[in-house]
Amino acid sequence: MKRYRLTYFMGQSVKGLWRNGVMTLASITVLMSCLVVIGSFALLIENINVNLEKLGLLNEIVAFIDETKTPEEVAAIGEQIRALDNVANVEYISKEQALEEEKERYKDYTGLYDLVEGDENPLRDSFVITYIDNEKASTTNYQVNHIDGVAKSNFRLELAQTIERVKSGISLVLVWFMAILFFVSLFVIINTIKLAVHSRRSEIAIMRYVGATEWFVILPFIFEGIFIGVLSSGVAYLIEMYIYRYVVAMMGDNFRMLTIIPFNDIRLMLGLAFLAIGVVTGIIGSTISTRKYLKA
Amino acid sequence: MIEFKDVKKVYPNGTVALDGVNLKIADGEFVFIVGESGAGKTTLMKLLLREEKVTGGTLSVRCEKQNGNRRSFVEYNLQKLSNFKVPFYRRELGVVFQDFRLFPNKTVFENVAFAMQVVGESNRVIKRRVPALLNIVNLTEKFNCYPSQLSGGEQQRVALARALANNPQIIIADEPTGNIDPRMSLEIMNLLVKIHKRGKTVIVVTHEKDLVDYFKQRVVKISDGKVVSDGVGGMFG
Repeated sequence: MKRYRLTYFMGQSVKGLWRNGVMTLASITVLMSCLVVIGSFALLIENINVNLEKLGLLNEIVAFIDETKTPEEVAAIGEQIRALDNVANVEYISKEQALEEEKERYKDYTGLYDLVEGDENPLRDSFVITYIDNEKASTTNYQVNHIDGVAKSNFRLELAQTIERVKSGISLVLVWFMAILFFVSLFVIINTIKLAVHSRRSEIAIMRYVGATEWFVILPFIFEGIFIGVLSSGVAYLIEMYIYRYVVAMMGDNFRMLTIIPFNDIRLMLGLAFLAIGVVTGIIGSTISTRKYLKA
Repeated sequence: MIEFKDVKKVYPNGTVALDGVNLKIADGEFVFIVGESGAGKTTLMKLLLREEKVTGGTLSVRCEKQNGNRRSFVEYNLQKLSNFKVPFYRRELGVVFQDFRLFPNKTVFENVAFAMQVVGESNRVIKRRVPALLNIVNLTEKFNCYPSQLSGGEQQRVALARALANNPQIIIADEPTGNIDPRMSLEIMNLLVKIHKRGKTVIVVTHEKDLVDYFKQRVVKISDGKVVSDGVGGMFG
């Protein structure tokens, strides 16, 4: 039984890449550039999302408790709030804690709170309620207000909804942009590989004349595509890492209010995504380009 | 055995390249296919290589298989042959082209070995068989040269060795001497005759009158897509 060896195809691929050095370099450069552009947009989206999510933590209702309620009654109110639909988290803040926070916030104004220590504390016990869904926030707020013992509540529905809208809008635009970029890249890569394969069409024709099957012809080109994909993604990863670290360093302290994802937190995801895109586009590009010349 | 029965080939643009060709080539025959440019010789070759499909009639090729001491036959009906099976049919043929069609970036050894790698032959067999093939075509010394380092005649001899690599029963040579000088042409033809004497069917498409007349084999003349003469020991006409 005659068998084809994988090492033969891999060896042919490496020879093919080496012998067609210029086209190999062109394919790697194009694929690498596309990956860097896609990667940069992905990182931008990821950072925007993280920052918007941070802003989204404003999904809070603060319920102030009537000061006549006993600690047991306050605890019972807390339980009623926790039992509500759309409530993700409930945090109790006593009036003493609230005063401490206020003092901390305005620590530069010495003596401001000297008169309101102890029994003179004008603040109320409160519950900070984090809700899940902005759509149901009004209902949740209404329900909280109707619990016996809740004096009043504060929440910033409009701001939360605006952030949510901006977040989905930006994400949608960037995801579409990335998808378009991906297809444009695929098109460019396919054409570059097509050029490489076109320059070897007579080689393919000879293979066909001596009785090579489609797979025998295609397989080395597919391996070439995989090699090109792996090499491109490796180089693109290093470039992306350098660019990201450079941009973060350049931003320095000027954007302290922004949360920047450390590169180490995303490097695995980015590396795998690059590898997957690189290899998949390499395989698709090689297969589509080679099939054109496989007419029996 | 190759049999053309009322074979017709009409190209999509309406050109009738072959019109009712009837031709039988027995196993072990040596046949020259001759004719002017545009007579239909190339189309006939393309049909035989199953590069094109016949549009009328039938074209069948029966190949002998030798498996140890057992002999069997495989018959290919070329108009019904699926694209998937075409490579397997082509392995039954050894083909030589006017422009040699060698891989420019492979050595002589690699060019010949390639035809064997295509059918999944082991390295051990390849290493044993390729030198023997190069010996037949007198190119043993040049096994490590690239085609660009060889003369036209030598390149055609490499192509011949490649054509013989998988021990096919049928050798098809399309204008094998078209790109080489007369002395080398004679050498190539002598090699083809030598191969024929080993029991192979050899079909040579050519328009070189002197060579055809010199070798005095069967000559099939095509004109305007029809076989106009067919004679054993014949002349170009």
